[in-house]
Amino acid sequence: MAEDKEDVTEVAREVLETLLDLLGVSARVTPLPGFLVEEAAPAPTSVTLNVEGEDLGILIGRRGQTLSSLQYLVRIIVGHQTKTWLPIVIDVEGYKQRRCNALQSLAWRIAEQVKTTKTPFTLEPMPAFDRRIIHLTLATHPDVYTESSGEGEARRVVILPKVPPD
Amino acid sequence: MKELVEFIAKSIVDAPDEVKVDEETNEEGLMTLKLQVADEDKGRVIGKQGRIAEAMRTLLRVKAAKAATRVRLEIV
Repeated sequence: MAEDKEDVTEVAREVLETLLDLLGVSARVTPLPGFLVEEAAPAPTSVTLNVEGEDLGILIGRRGQTLSSLQYLVRIIVGHQTKTWLPIVIDVEGYKQRRCNALQSLAWRIAEQVKTTKTPFTLEPMPAFDRRIIHLTLATHPDVYTESSGEGEARRVVILPKVPPD
Repeated sequence: MKELVEFIAKSIVDAPDEVKVDEETNEEGLMTLKLQVADEDKGRVIGKQGRIAEAMRTLLRVKAAKAATRVRLEIV
């Protein structure tokens, strides 16, 4: 299994480097040991690649849309070539890591508020990756639980108290 | 532009030799890429709910923005 992961990492890295080259973006790709969100729910088989270089905002795009397209295509190509499927995470200049840290602080802060007020709180609409971070962050919280509501672009996380209101 | 689509398509189809991309530019400078693949591979380059085609278009937009042009992708 460990060998598989190394192979997949290598293939993913080559595919990503080729795509960046074809996009005319000069950048360096470094594999990372894992992604911080996994602290909450370990998924040791995921492959994380970080892209470093100058002026990479263009690779992230509005609400990270370009980055998620890039990641999606790398997953599809690597899946087709290796006939295995591992969740490949692509980050640009630690963008997702920073976003992840910010979302975790937000989750903890709102959880405290929900615990005190005993009133559910609905967050802004977020992409799937961001919602997942909130869910994972609060999965083991003793006083609140999370749900998602709404469809597509408007899908948002609701943080609810575990005890019913008085 | 063409090479980007060609690389992605060839990497996800079962018949890479049948991948063909034609590039046309009209008077207004709008470039159209026509991607042709084997019939059995059409679904692969489109993807569920068009997700793969959409992702290719997103990357094309990045490249087009860098070159200050516009580009369209058609799957024929």
